[in-house]
Amino acid sequence: MEDYAERIVDKALKLGCQDAVADVIGNRSYQIRFAQNQVVISNQWRETSASVFLVYNKRVIASEIKDLTKLDAAVENLVKIAKASRENPDYAGLAEGPFKYDRLTVDKRIVDLMDGSDFVEAAIHGATAEGAKECAGSFWKYDEEHSLRTSNGVKGYDHRASLYLSIRALMSLESSGHGVACATRMSQFDPEKAGHKAGKIAALAKDPVGGEAGTYDIVFDPLILGSLIDQIGGRSSAYIVMAGLSPFAKKIGKLVASKIVTITDDGSADSMGRQRFDAEGVPTKKKFIVRNGVLKTYLHNTSTAKKFKAKTTANAGLIAPWPHALSCKPGNWTRDEIFEECRDGLWLTNTWYTRYQSYVTGDFSTIPRDGIFRIKDGEIVGVWKDIRLTDNLLHVWKSIVGLSKTVDQVNWWGEVSVPTFAPYALARKIRITRSAE
Amino acid sequence: MADLDLVEFAVDYARKKGATYAEARFEHQRNEEFILKNSVLDALYITEDSGLGVRVLAKGGLGFAATNAMTKTDVRVIVDDAVRIAKAARRKDPIVFAPEDPIVMEWSVPQKKKLSDVPVEEKIEEILHIDRELADLKLKILARFFQQANRQIDKYFVNSEGSKIRSFSPRVRLDYFLTVMHYGNAEQSHQSYGRSGGWEAVREIDMLRRTLDEAKSMQNALAHGKKSPEGKMDLVAGPMVAGIASHESCGHPTEADRVLGREASQAGKSFITPTSIGQKVGSPVVNVVDDPTMEHAIAFYVTDDEGVKARRRYLYKDGMINEFLQNRETAAVLGTQSNGASRAVTYNVEAIVRMANTFVEPKDWGTDEMLEDVKYGVYMKSFMEWNIDDKRYNGKYVGREAYLIEEGEVTTPVRNTVVELTTPAFWGAVDAVGKDFELFHSGYCGKSDPSQALDAALGGPTIRLRNVYLR
Repeated sequence: MEDYAERIVDKALKLGCQDAVADVIGNRSYQIRFAQNQVVISNQWRETSASVFLVYNKRVIASEIKDLTKLDAAVENLVKIAKASRENPDYAGLAEGPFKYDRLTVDKRIVDLMDGSDFVEAAIHGATAEGAKECAGSFWKYDEEHSLRTSNGVKGYDHRASLYLSIRALMSLESSGHGVACATRMSQFDPEKAGHKAGKIAALAKDPVGGEAGTYDIVFDPLILGSLIDQIGGRSSAYIVMAGLSPFAKKIGKLVASKIVTITDDGSADSMGRQRFDAEGVPTKKKFIVRNGVLKTYLHNTSTAKKFKAKTTANAGLIAPWPHALSCKPGNWTRDEIFEECRDGLWLTNTWYTRYQSYVTGDFSTIPRDGIFRIKDGEIVGVWKDIRLTDNLLHVWKSIVGLSKTVDQVNWWGEVSVPTFAPYALARKIRITRSAE
Repeated sequence: MADLDLVEFAVDYARKKGATYAEARFEHQRNEEFILKNSVLDALYITEDSGLGVRVLAKGGLGFAATNAMTKTDVRVIVDDAVRIAKAARRKDPIVFAPEDPIVMEWSVPQKKKLSDVPVEEKIEEILHIDRELADLKLKILARFFQQANRQIDKYFVNSEGSKIRSFSPRVRLDYFLTVMHYGNAEQSHQSYGRSGGWEAVREIDMLRRTLDEAKSMQNALAHGKKSPEGKMDLVAGPMVAGIASHESCGHPTEADRVLGREASQAGKSFITPTSIGQKVGSPVVNVVDDPTMEHAIAFYVTDDEGVKARRRYLYKDGMINEFLQNRETAAVLGTQSNGASRAVTYNVEAIVRMANTFVEPKDWGTDEMLEDVKYGVYMKSFMEWNIDDKRYNGKYVGREAYLIEEGEVTTPVRNTVVELTTPAFWGAVDAVGKDFELFHSGYCGKSDPSQALDAALGGPTIRLRNVYLR
């Protein structure tokens, strides 16, 4: 793999490129999908491809090369196309290597895993033990090797392996719960616990009734808070800010969340999102996106950092900066205290389909799914369905009044796109709407 | 192109290894994306994505494996993988596929001007000139983001029942995202258009006119827009709104895999059950169609990714739930035939049940006729925010370009009109369907795990809904 990366960079430089990056990726991931308590398909990937980034006289071109037997021809073609392109005045170069990286921490037991059926069975067992009738989800063994070379002296190798399971348990179409398990160590992987959580919520969510529009206190379960943290992480990318797709423009140093909220991105920490370096080869590190409610930084690569007179935050993607692994700092409330303080509200356990009317203002809505529970004076007094959280991203984050002491690592299809450590949270006066019939 | 004999080899080898059914799909996709952000050509993204995916049935389980290394050794390894993991499924009831006759054919989408013959400079200029014209409007446009994307998809599909299908689909897309400001207020718009065909599709889409019209309407809404009225009133919805509602609340809930629970953990299930065929879901004037055979629509195809011939599907007919979207697996469970709805976004993922080009079937009303019958209501031409729950029952569409209708006349622009209705409430309120028709809007429809964002056209005529709650 190193040879391929080396060859791509050398060839690009020989053809006149000033900057070149090649990340050769070996993907050996494996997945089991299940539904109706049975395996529906198993998938295995065996692919080696190269992510390539070339710059010819400030003309930027990016590519994925799949046919590694024709590397030279592929690079020649890319350079030819780059020559016909236009200068990008915002391009400001690559990070200067070489760099030293943290030691590799991959669990060999995960890499060697050939069959995940037992994990699927354990998760289904956990859910059905709580009374669930129907379970669906995915088990993943993620296994990727990266060999990175850049024209600025970077030589990096990484092996990223983790286990993941997502399970939705259903008592009926409208009584369901969701649980996830995330681990970078086989010994920490607990799919049965995820099954129990999904099953418990499904069993609690029996016979829901249509909810009522209004303003409520909301207890956010870690899975749905993870979705809201994901919105902060993704929309703090400097590229997204420049594209007009973020409510964080001109908000550095300003209050964007409650003072108890601190959100970090840290690709170097132990999580499913751990990676030793970003796409430019810069060693990943912890940075505060939001600290005590104040927006501290956008996520940068070398070019966006220069544009904003900042330093790279080691979040380079091939073109745009992205978060690697997010974390919301735990608070000082117990989970029980979070619920006790919810006087007239709802406990939301999951959500999907988050969409904006205005990214500039942060006006958005998202649709809670799985268990939706009516809470009065800390007690569950009913089960709801068919509601929508319709509010403003900054308002929601400014309305957080309590965070739990414990956090869960969550990651979920579409909504929690980056592995995230999320606590329980209590927010006051959040707007709920519902459909007219 | 790789050695296509390997595709046939994969199928033969899988059968030898104990697969009761095997298929192999080789794909070679040439993709170009040109990204223009605030007048800066950020990057060109050029890829040649190619490889082989193999799917097998063995001991009642389904296994899929993929590689981009096209050698006999590598193909053997992924076939071994697919058979091994299929057998490991230990299912109580074996997966079977509904029978299909084998097809041997070649098909392709004609191009008047081949995408491969158009110079890179011309493709870049296509978005640069829109950007320049937009700047000439002298509006305060805080952010402009354009993307021009071209895809040429070669496929070779072989299965163990004798099907051998070669196909070629060229596709063109144009997307934009605009943020217009006026005295501190912002209006945002995201539009996505696409066609199957050659470079002539760019002229058919007419993105320049569309973008300039949109920017002007955004400025008009900011300068003159009023708060949208609240209460029960009539709604006249343009093709874009009819299209998104067709996609979200007709197409998705009639996907048979969703109905059967296969997507329950991710994209969700459906308010429709296997016994819902024939049940009322809308007014008698509502026909919603999914049709992969619409020539030059972005999701045009002749055969699906299971080698089944495509055809028009009436999802809702005369206001009734009429037909599900089926692949061979769901068809077997439901005791019917596939209707050719199985698609995959690339070689390295399984094909699953997908929509193609989904729209309200046009009828005979003129838009002016619909409007003149409205005493008070809203004419919503486009939307920005939208979403729907995972059973596809509670949809929301928030207006981008919308106007008040007073005594049959379109008057003041109104901002952020919210249509938040159940699926039967939306379709049950339709009393008039227009004769106009548009199918240029092209979404990236998301489904499955790993997620497959697939080309899907959505459109139709203008429709009128009576007495619905808006705010």
